[in-house]
Amino acid sequence: MTWDILGHEWAVNLLQEHVARDRLRHAYLLIGPRGVGRRTLALRLAQAVNCPQPAAAGDPCRVCRACLQIERMQYPDLTVVQAETEGGVLKVDQVRELQHSLALAPYEARYRVALLLRFEEAHASAANALLKTLEEPPAQVIMLLTASSQESLLPTIVSRCEPLRLRPLALEDVAQGLQTRWQAPEAQATLLAHLSGGRPGYALALYREPERLQQRQEWVQALFHLLKDGRVQRFNYIKELTKDSNKEKEKPRDRLRQVVLAWLPVWRDVLLRAAGSAAPLINPDLEADVARLASALGPQTARQIVANLDRSLELLDKNANPQLVGEVLMLDLPRF
Amino acid sequence: MKASVLQENLAHGLSMVSRAVSPRSTLPVLANILVATDEGRLRLSATNLELGITSWIGAKVEDEGAITVPARTFSDMISTLPNDRVNLSLNVRTQTLNVRCGSSNADIKGIDAQEFPPLPSPDLASGIQMNVADLKEMIQQVAFAASSDEARPVLTGILLTVQGNKVVLSAADGFRLSIRRAELSSQVARPITAIIPARALIELARISTDGGDQPLTMVLPPGRGQVIFRTKDAELTSQLIEGTFPDLEQVIPRNSRTRTVLSTAAFLKACKQAEIFAREGSHIARINIIPGGEMQPGIVEISGQSEETGFNQTQVDCTVEGPGILIAFNVRFLREVLEVIKTPNVVIETTADNSPGVFKPVGDDNFTHVIMPMHLGD
Repeated sequence: MTWDILGHEWAVNLLQEHVARDRLRHAYLLIGPRGVGRRTLALRLAQAVNCPQPAAAGDPCRVCRACLQIERMQYPDLTVVQAETEGGVLKVDQVRELQHSLALAPYEARYRVALLLRFEEAHASAANALLKTLEEPPAQVIMLLTASSQESLLPTIVSRCEPLRLRPLALEDVAQGLQTRWQAPEAQATLLAHLSGGRPGYALALYREPERLQQRQEWVQALFHLLKDGRVQRFNYIKELTKDSNKEKEKPRDRLRQVVLAWLPVWRDVLLRAAGSAAPLINPDLEADVARLASALGPQTARQIVANLDRSLELLDKNANPQLVGEVLMLDLPRF
Repeated sequence: MKASVLQENLAHGLSMVSRAVSPRSTLPVLANILVATDEGRLRLSATNLELGITSWIGAKVEDEGAITVPARTFSDMISTLPNDRVNLSLNVRTQTLNVRCGSSNADIKGIDAQEFPPLPSPDLASGIQMNVADLKEMIQQVAFAASSDEARPVLTGILLTVQGNKVVLSAADGFRLSIRRAELSSQVARPITAIIPARALIELARISTDGGDQPLTMVLPPGRGQVIFRTKDAELTSQLIEGTFPDLEQVIPRNSRTRTVLSTAAFLKACKQAEIFAREGSHIARINIIPGGEMQPGIVEISGQSEETGFNQTQVDCTVEGPGILIAFNVRFLREVLEVIKTPNVVIETTADNSPGVFKPVGDDNFTHVIMPMHLGD
């Protein structure tokens, strides 16, 4: 097996079978949390069907020009369609453009592969525009969709694809993989495996970009400070956070989203401990703090905070003023 | 690579290929133009993976080589240079193209030519020989009838069929269809059926303006899903559209009740006038065909009308066989077909106000155009 993917053996086996026996479906839907390996799996499949000199049927060589270009998502017969930014909207025009290119014969490969990433971000009109193509794509086309969950898509989309549900890996497997494949030190690998919640792609991203990990730690530390602080300091923090600075490209909305996404796992851990669960924590490095918060706040409050954070993510998506969202969050945060 | 070319030739070549550049693609290399030495000439190529254009220009080649450079930068730069010799030299290590001309000197950063999508190398011997001017006329008579609606991709293309020594181009958009036949100078070994994007053929007609009587070779490599048109110093490649084209012959009415012959120029002029009035409203031109009596010609009344603009009517003399008829067509469709009919007279074949009208040049059986009528309303 040369697909070289961490975990998801069953999915790899299944797809390999499909390629080897020429039983490819016209559309696959890869469902799973961000960073679990949906896109990697899709790209491997694209390589498997289009590699001009596979080691065996369904085994891409991964060294030829075609394989390398697919890996970089820069291959003539691979069309990648996704929302401009994460959390953005995939527009109907992009689908139309895709349909135009899919009607053409493949440029050099056997199949034209369309890769639609984060399809839950597709505008309803874009999803509907795709239905016809998804139902009856031209013979030489394979459609690959990725999404966070089945429920986030139109049922008419899901029913036209073969769904493959990718689940987070066991934490040890991620830690092991980080150590053997990317030579991560053991302690860090274990921490990253926990932080990623079993999503190898996310763990790897944190490993390769230590500043992201650093940033997360800062935000989490800030959270613990804020818990002690009064309303004035809390509002000041939010004001700083959501200030429109021209220097960074990052928008206040995205920054606040990142912060909320960093806090959410902490509260998840608190909720778990407060409810008396022994499930592994996402933040093993904060074990003591989490236990302290859990015993002081109890499951009710923890649940409420998790719900609040969830709600603020939703509000940010709906274009609410980031500063207001942050302030509301701060008002509901208990003082501890 | 080390080569020198005339600025004029280079600018001309660049303007030709830059139509195929796609600046906003996910593949950065598609925003670039391939500049390569090729058997003593300089090859300029661009592709957007649907349409590829190559132009060869005469050059003095000292060293072979290839690179891709950003299309915008390169053509803007070249167009500002004096009409003089341009020296191009490639620094392979930094992938930079040095451009020297007169007193100016520029270094353009490029992308490795290996990144450029592989270009076809057609077997020209297996191709079909045609004449540029003839093909261009065929395209102009058919391409405008192709659909622009992406929902039915097949109809955005033009069907090419070749059998024996007959070649046919046909296009349809659901409201009208255009069929143009022609004969080849030689027999073709195997029959060909392919759907070529209308855009590609329109582009081919555009770039072959100075073609004149030049020969052109058309190649469809089997199993590649591509068509290649090659002239002496240019090549256009297009991906074919996959699918089955509807059988248009079935749609063409076999017989008609009324056959009207009138002057193409006068009819076109009348339609243009009617369009001025009809374009604000429903684009309807009403055609009232009145047969003449003894010693007196028939008359076609062409009228356009809209609430805001007003009313216009033009009479054109004609000869009518069969009963009179009042029928309405989309005036733009009428104008577009009359503009490509080259003969002095045109024949309209109609049966009823709800069945399609057939338009043909008089004395030329190679062109047929069919338009669906519109509702007359009140």
